[in-house]
Amino acid sequence: MNTMLTKWTAGAAAALVLTGGAVFAADKTLDIGVSDALTGGAAVYGLPQANAVKMAAAEINAAGGIAVGGDTYMLNVIAYDDKANPTEASNAVRKLIDRDGVKFILGFCCSGATGAVASFIENEDAVMLVGNAAERSITTREIPNLVRTRPPADYTGAAAGTFVADKGHKRVAVLGALDVGFYASYVDAFEVELNKAGGEIISREAFSLKDRDMSPQLTKIREQQPDAILVVGYVEPAAFVYRQAVELGIDVPRYGFTSGSEEQFLRVASSEQMEGVWDLRPTELTLLSASDNGIAYHKNYSDTYGIAPSPSSPYAYDQTYALKDAIEAAGTVDDTQAVAAALRELAVPDEVVMQYLPVDGTMFDVNGQAYTSNGAFQWQSGNWVFVQDLPSDAAAYSAFLSTID
Amino acid sequence: MIEILQQIVNGVAIGGVYVLIALGLTTVFGILGIAHFAHGSVSMFGGYLTFFLVSGMGFPLLLAILVALLTGLVIGMAIEFLAYRPVRNANHINAFIVALGLTMMVEGLNLEFFGHEQVVIPTDLGRVFNIGGVTLPELRLYVILAAALLILAMTIFVEKTKTGQAIRAVAENRDAAILMGVNVNTIPLVVFAISTALGVCAGVMVGSLFAIAPGIGEGLVVKGFAVLILGGLGSIPGAVVGGLVLGITEALAAGFISSAYKDVIAFVVMITVLLVRPQGLMGKA
Amino acid sequence: MLEVNDLRVAYGAIEVVHGITLNVQAGECVALVGANGAGKSSTLKAICGLIPAKSGRISLEGRDITNASGHAIVKAGITMCPEGRQVFPQMSVLQNLAMGAYARRDAEQASDIDEMMDMFPILRDRAGQAAGTLSGGEQEMLAIARALMARPRLCIFDEPSLGLAPKIVAEVGATIDRIKKMGKTILLVEQNAAMALRLADRAYLFEAGEIVLTGTGAELQKHPEVAKAYLGH
Repeated sequence: MNTMLTKWTAGAAAALVLTGGAVFAADKTLDIGVSDALTGGAAVYGLPQANAVKMAAAEINAAGGIAVGGDTYMLNVIAYDDKANPTEASNAVRKLIDRDGVKFILGFCCSGATGAVASFIENEDAVMLVGNAAERSITTREIPNLVRTRPPADYTGAAAGTFVADKGHKRVAVLGALDVGFYASYVDAFEVELNKAGGEIISREAFSLKDRDMSPQLTKIREQQPDAILVVGYVEPAAFVYRQAVELGIDVPRYGFTSGSEEQFLRVASSEQMEGVWDLRPTELTLLSASDNGIAYHKNYSDTYGIAPSPSSPYAYDQTYALKDAIEAAGTVDDTQAVAAALRELAVPDEVVMQYLPVDGTMFDVNGQAYTSNGAFQWQSGNWVFVQDLPSDAAAYSAFLSTID
Repeated sequence: MIEILQQIVNGVAIGGVYVLIALGLTTVFGILGIAHFAHGSVSMFGGYLTFFLVSGMGFPLLLAILVALLTGLVIGMAIEFLAYRPVRNANHINAFIVALGLTMMVEGLNLEFFGHEQVVIPTDLGRVFNIGGVTLPELRLYVILAAALLILAMTIFVEKTKTGQAIRAVAENRDAAILMGVNVNTIPLVVFAISTALGVCAGVMVGSLFAIAPGIGEGLVVKGFAVLILGGLGSIPGAVVGGLVLGITEALAAGFISSAYKDVIAFVVMITVLLVRPQGLMGKA
Repeated sequence: MLEVNDLRVAYGAIEVVHGITLNVQAGECVALVGANGAGKSSTLKAICGLIPAKSGRISLEGRDITNASGHAIVKAGITMCPEGRQVFPQMSVLQNLAMGAYARRDAEQASDIDEMMDMFPILRDRAGQAAGTLSGGEQEMLAIARALMARPRLCIFDEPSLGLAPKIVAEVGATIDRIKKMGKTILLVEQNAAMALRLADRAYLFEAGEIVLTGTGAELQKHPEVAKAYLGH
């Protein structure tokens, strides 16, 4: 029954998006904002997030909007491009709050831009919902009006380290965007677990977002004869690492933390070059691991935008439903403190796509942090295949996160 | 030992791309004294066009490259005729400003036509050759061979043909070249056509080996000028030696010192060379 | 063969040649003499199309070549061996000679190069060497040979002896004499008036952008004012 309903909702929403959604003229409109990377290198993460928020808003509107007291609010999304740049993001959020009068801001794919906004959001009459940005420090300060759907990178890194150690690898070479804080913290947490099992990281090589030639680093790694390599970084440079590793004849297992879609990798590398690569990441969206919600999300998104959704885009979709439930629970669209408090008390909404692991029964812990399960995905014949869950302890990590300033 | 050889092989392919970019810049500079900053962006346009023809129009790769090359010849001539010729006899700062404006224009057009996403030219060249432990992917091999062939063709053209000799003559002594009967109005057209065609080849190489995206062209033109300064302004052998030195140095630096400082180390080498030989590696004192 | 009528040449607002008229007949050697800055070189540059004529008419064998572009004038049959030699320094001697024949399309260029090397044996010895590494005298020979490679109908020499050692100056004089005896038409500009007048069939004396005296080489050599001012008697 639930499945049928979800499908129906999704189908109706798709039809609505296509026809412009003008059928339901609402009494009241609630503006919600999105600040995300709509252009530039990080747009592979940001643009799908913005699309996901718009799609969720259209679905919510189609299903009758948000009910607060006697009123019904229709959602209107105002999205600004922050190019994943801290200055641009601060400007975008200021514009949303000061000029557009927006109180609820979603999106936030990337850590640098998100961190800049997080540093001042506590003093604003607004609620900030963070998506794909994985830098741990965003939720270590217990900012009351901030929540995040994606777990921090080191939560996943620790699970990945255990997984790789269980595979029996002792000498692991790391190649990644190590100047980016959350990638470095993934590797640090990975290393702790690897060391516990008697393994070690034998080298740490770096690349930047704009690097496309990784052969010097890979040649160096090849010379060290590792048991396995670990690639952490943005999809595009990571895809070149996988491709050039094959070109250099490196035939050890390749593990990664990239969250790229099949399409994104195939633009750079062939399926043969990708064969066997592991991605160790939050379980996110892949059709093989997806729930009914995930399958419906994938179809609705593909129909609406003519392209498959990125695996991380549901973080933003889920923000929108969490916000809806929180506003309805708080019974107000004006009192941001009440909405922020309701978010912290929220059970996981029925409509969400990601598989959240509630801590003490709530979607977000005291830090405002949500946890998903982590999964091991492997590239098999052109697709990311979900192989198994990674051992993840959300409650323990949540307790650990609370100890950090 | 194998590691060093492998790093050199890695560097040769990217060095070949630098050489092709620098060859265009050095001939233009030699003959007109213009720092043609837009060269990188125009080269990337060639790469984008090839991508579009292959992925969008279904052209076979070689045909797409040929079309892009011919387009490059025409664009090169148009740039000389429409942008640089009107300021030829004016103050040098005018040509400088035209070059900067042109760069922004071409970058803008690339963005408008081809979008902001990175583009990789698909090639289907997936084989890898292994020679005594040193691996050489098929695509890189072809890039190295193509670059070598183009450098050879350019050398033969300049050394053995009348037009090529006229280009050298104009670069060395413009008035004397006129007295030999060289038409100094057509030579710049030829130079821009050839330079741009070489640039398009470099664009295709970057686009298939790596990727084309906004900003890549500007980065490449900076490397190109570094090669020019390293090799000696206006010198064709200097561009060849300088490009290979820069490519290999980058690979060795990334492999043996630190990948994080790849670009920096390359420029440190450039500055060191200039301290010892201010005229560049192949420049005349 | 060459007719120059009322030629005026100006650099911007400053006129340096004030309406001169001269001619060169086929097979003649004509010298332009005069002090530095008298307008000789500007006249030559205007004839060769390197700078524009302000007014007047220049014609070669009846064809108007006033303000034609430099390369068109070379095709018409005028070649200049420029002041200061102006060889292409990084190109080899051989390449310099080949550049001399740039405007030609015939098949006899290789044999002409051979001929030039017979005429100037030092160029054969230095054939592969960069022209910039040659001595001043050798460069002058190369410049002359390069000019002859065009098979010009009118060959102009602009200050061929300037800056050369006395022994080399004599050699240059002898060379021009040889070229004259080959039947070439020559227009010679020289500050070394003694040499110029000795070589010339006719000569024009330039002063401050005007022609003040004309006659045969022998006549001018005997003219008291010329003797006093330019020949140092």
